[in-house]
Amino acid sequence: MKSRFLFPYWCRYLGWGLAIAHVPISVIGRMNGMFNILDDQSRNLSLFAGEHLFFMCTALLMTLGLFLVAFAKEKIEDEQIWQIRLDSLRWSIYINYLILIISLVFINDTGHILELNLWVPLIFFIIRFRWIIFRLNQSLSREG
Amino acid sequence: MKNNIRVERAIKNISQGDLAEQVGVSRQTINSIESNKYVPSTVLALKISRVFGKALEDVFMLEEED
Repeated sequence: MKSRFLFPYWCRYLGWGLAIAHVPISVIGRMNGMFNILDDQSRNLSLFAGEHLFFMCTALLMTLGLFLVAFAKEKIEDEQIWQIRLDSLRWSIYINYLILIISLVFINDTGHILELNLWVPLIFFIIRFRWIIFRLNQSLSREG
Repeated sequence: MKNNIRVERAIKNISQGDLAEQVGVSRQTINSIESNKYVPSTVLALKISRVFGKALEDVFMLEEED
């Protein structure tokens, strides 16, 4: 089966690497006085310097990592995997918009809503997709 | 839709893995089709029937509720 618009299998490991790498960078940055630009949007920031660079190295590194994990091919990318992928994507969009609508109504903090919107679909997609594949593998090993 | 892939496999004496390899899908997919958890596409159904040398409707059958 042709699987267009997906990253090669190894990108999954690169993605986890980037997502995990964001944690120490974030911790070290904050220890050195950096702040999340979404926490204080009143400050004027210069592009590609200081806090803006720190934001790119953390939030965007994490997002890129999750994106690669979510859209890397499976070892055998067949039509059932495609169906699970589409189904998980549908659920993640539902959940994302539900959270987005609730937060737009009840929370007056657009910066953090944006951050939430950046991660929720990807994280929910990955969890749901991997869970269904895990269950498939489990039923396979049960039947021998 | 039900199917008798398991029976056909037993007649031909091939494993789920062998069938999966011949039609180019994973073993999980063959297992899901056999246990009626997944309905294959027409292309995949035709490929599976061809492996057994049978007509499509000898391997896959519609059920009352379909």
